[in-house]
Amino acid sequence: MSSRKSIEKPLPSVVENIEEWPIYVTYKNKEEFLNKVKKHVLQHSSWLNKEPDTLRNELKKILYQEKIRLTKTPWKSDDPKEKLFWSGIKKQIRNQKPIENRGDTQEVDEAILNEILDYYTDKMVANFKPSTFKFTQKALPFVYSRLINSFPRILSKIFSSVDKLYDRMKITGDIDHIRKLQEMGTVVIVPTHYSNLDSPTIGLSLNNLGLSAFTYGAGINLFTIKTLSKFMHNLGAYKVDRRRKHRLYIETLKAYSTVALTENVNSLFYPGGSRSKTGKLEEKLKLGLLGTVIDAQRINLVENGGKKIFIIPVTLNYHYVLEAKKLIESHLKNMGKENYLEDENTNSFGLIKRTYKVITSNPGMTVSFAPAMDVFGNRVDENGESFCKIGNKVEVADYFKLNGEIERNVQRDSQYTQILGERILEEFRENTVVLSSNLVAFVAFQIIRKRFSQFSVFEILSLPKDETTISELEFKNVMERIKDRLIQLDKEHKILLSEDIDLNPQELMTTGIQKVGSSHPKYVLKNKKGEISTQSMKLLYYYHNKLTGYGLEEYV
Amino acid sequence: MQKVGVIGTGNFGLALANLLSINREVLIYARREEIAEKINTTREHKGQVISEKVVAISDFEEITRECKLIFPIVPSSNFKEMLVQLRPFLTPEHILIHGTKGLHIESDINVVEELQRHEVLTMSELILKETSVVRVGCIAGPNLAKELSDKQVGGTVVASRYNDVITEGKKALHSSVFRVYGSNEVMGVEIASVLKNYIAIAAGMLEGLGYGDNSKALLITRGMAEMIFFGKAFGADEKAFMGLAGIGDLMATCNSKLSRNFRVGYFLAQGKKPEEILADLNEVAEGIKTIKVVHLLRHYKFNSPLADALHKVIYEDWDIEKGLSYVMNLPVSDDTDFFNTNA
Repeated sequence: MSSRKSIEKPLPSVVENIEEWPIYVTYKNKEEFLNKVKKHVLQHSSWLNKEPDTLRNELKKILYQEKIRLTKTPWKSDDPKEKLFWSGIKKQIRNQKPIENRGDTQEVDEAILNEILDYYTDKMVANFKPSTFKFTQKALPFVYSRLINSFPRILSKIFSSVDKLYDRMKITGDIDHIRKLQEMGTVVIVPTHYSNLDSPTIGLSLNNLGLSAFTYGAGINLFTIKTLSKFMHNLGAYKVDRRRKHRLYIETLKAYSTVALTENVNSLFYPGGSRSKTGKLEEKLKLGLLGTVIDAQRINLVENGGKKIFIIPVTLNYHYVLEAKKLIESHLKNMGKENYLEDENTNSFGLIKRTYKVITSNPGMTVSFAPAMDVFGNRVDENGESFCKIGNKVEVADYFKLNGEIERNVQRDSQYTQILGERILEEFRENTVVLSSNLVAFVAFQIIRKRFSQFSVFEILSLPKDETTISELEFKNVMERIKDRLIQLDKEHKILLSEDIDLNPQELMTTGIQKVGSSHPKYVLKNKKGEISTQSMKLLYYYHNKLTGYGLEEYV
Repeated sequence: MQKVGVIGTGNFGLALANLLSINREVLIYARREEIAEKINTTREHKGQVISEKVVAISDFEEITRECKLIFPIVPSSNFKEMLVQLRPFLTPEHILIHGTKGLHIESDINVVEELQRHEVLTMSELILKETSVVRVGCIAGPNLAKELSDKQVGGTVVASRYNDVITEGKKALHSSVFRVYGSNEVMGVEIASVLKNYIAIAAGMLEGLGYGDNSKALLITRGMAEMIFFGKAFGADEKAFMGLAGIGDLMATCNSKLSRNFRVGYFLAQGKKPEEILADLNEVAEGIKTIKVVHLLRHYKFNSPLADALHKVIYEDWDIEKGLSYVMNLPVSDDTDFFNTNA
């Protein structure tokens, strides 16, 4: 069913006329779209109407939580007029009669609720401007290529022997299939998340595939620079404020995503939530927004002639992640503790700087598109038909039917979302591309770990340098065993190998060591006169983590 | 209202079909056409009178076409084979609620020295693996077939991840003689209904040796603890073991001469050999297989003194008194250790 290939240059758009793209049509009729979003929230938030005083209490809770947010975690990106808005709401609630003397109270409460919903959706909504898109479409590859050409010459020289073996940005997958599916339904991209560079990388990859533009949620911390903020806004990014935990906000966000999907707008989610702090593949997904694909598929079956939604997991594979040090240190510091990294320091200016730095110094990246599936994780063929794991053709409508009728059932759908989440994780694992840098980091860290098998990870990370030096011979021996196992896993379709892995042991080792985390101030690995050493066990651990979970440890 | 399907014409399958017929028209699948014909013409099979609302057929395609809610009640050893034949006709619209109190083992337990978790599947895991059905549940509890067929009042639990499976199961089965409870703890319910089989063998042994109620109460309580230890190792929650499928089913099977597993234990204590007993029973006693399976999984380091002792008696030729003495001389821990440990 699947035929993998890579693309080097942009393919023409599947739908040539931008004004026919669902993202354009939807955001052009913004008012209509937002009305649908609000209607969806009100229709499906049964918790608002369970008890007579529920709505009033919910409004008070919203107000309280917004106040806390504004005072305890204010961000520069916050709208200066926001305080005024919530003061207005507060006054309206305060002026309300007590609940015992109801009468028109419920009506007024509903009006306040609508006002808040208007506010949330207005803040959230994205835009899509063809002129901005066309400009970006032209400028981005140019900027990328300029940046890549500015790759330091001295390093280029070192790499020249292996340069021909890879392209710095390799996009692989069953491209023709994905393009065909776009003509038949809505495409949802779910990538792994390692770095702030992921979004520009994915953006460029999707453009190269010729798909209609995608809408996606972006943290409001990324909207701090006005020009860039406007850019993102006009390219389909809707604003997500992760500080807002109230369920009305969460429901509004979900409704936004659901309605966009039912309007046939291609969408992108990072199902892992935030970036991987350990460098490991996602082990658990955040299912909130992901669940909207199930609800949207059900709505499509009832209202939109059964238009199908296709899920495509994507793995991003880097030799070098700029934020690696910060991420892994934060993980180690907060082991077992919730820590939300995306503070305001992760602003858009920071992102530009990072992107620039990563691209100018990055020895390469691979974007690997997994085979497409339906919202239940079944593979789909070239006609968009679904086939379950045992090869039977299945109809998505059947999953929603009870006694012959398609039904909405939140509890059932939450289970389906879990199934989809598990399938995405499986595809992430199977479509991870092993880079030479991953392999050498894994080999080095595991040799050290085996040497100190009684030590905890923390103790291993604090080992002095002379305890962690590895001889080239030992290194190559272990690397060959791991490589053999990886080749076996590749044959079993459990992982993918980059071309680097085909190199002879000496070249593979040299290439991997050169590329692994190549631009950190401290080197991750270095081979000096046959002695392989590291300056940062933490970074070595981070890059090694990518290959954990494949059972490779027993081959060390 | 849609018909409900039952697959399997064993004692429990027939009793369940009769219970379902209180609310719905029922199609029951019999592998052999002559049995289907016998049921339809004589309205009697295996000593049970079959309701007029139950129609027996031998066509998988028909049962899946007519019924979206199906109860497979087939011995674990035949379950996979049944699924392979059934699956071409199953779709994600079907709901399967199985009533099989056994495990499917992917390896030959008479050959391997240990089993891995992925080689041991509960029936709902097997359904999910082998078919396109996603809405799966199980039915378990103190449901001795003979009493069910006599229409004695009783109850059961329908467990599923999906609330609509539980609701549909209840709608089809709940009646004035049969109470149906719901649970989302599928794994716990399935494990409980499997493991109680060997506890029942031990109960039969105690009875056969002439021990009284104190001894049996000790066995049942510690039997439940052992079930929980195993369940936790399999990722189950302890809650299910406190319900009908756990303590409920244990009380019934450990006190009933109607239970096949109990009878196996009883006759063993009377000096009969396992092969003879199984030949005489002419029915499956899942407990014998379960003891072996638990033994082959012991490297997961859960606490299973009863299974260990039973393994020694049944598979290693120990006499029962020696097995009993082995268990009684083990160190003791806290009374309710199963609440806070995976030991």
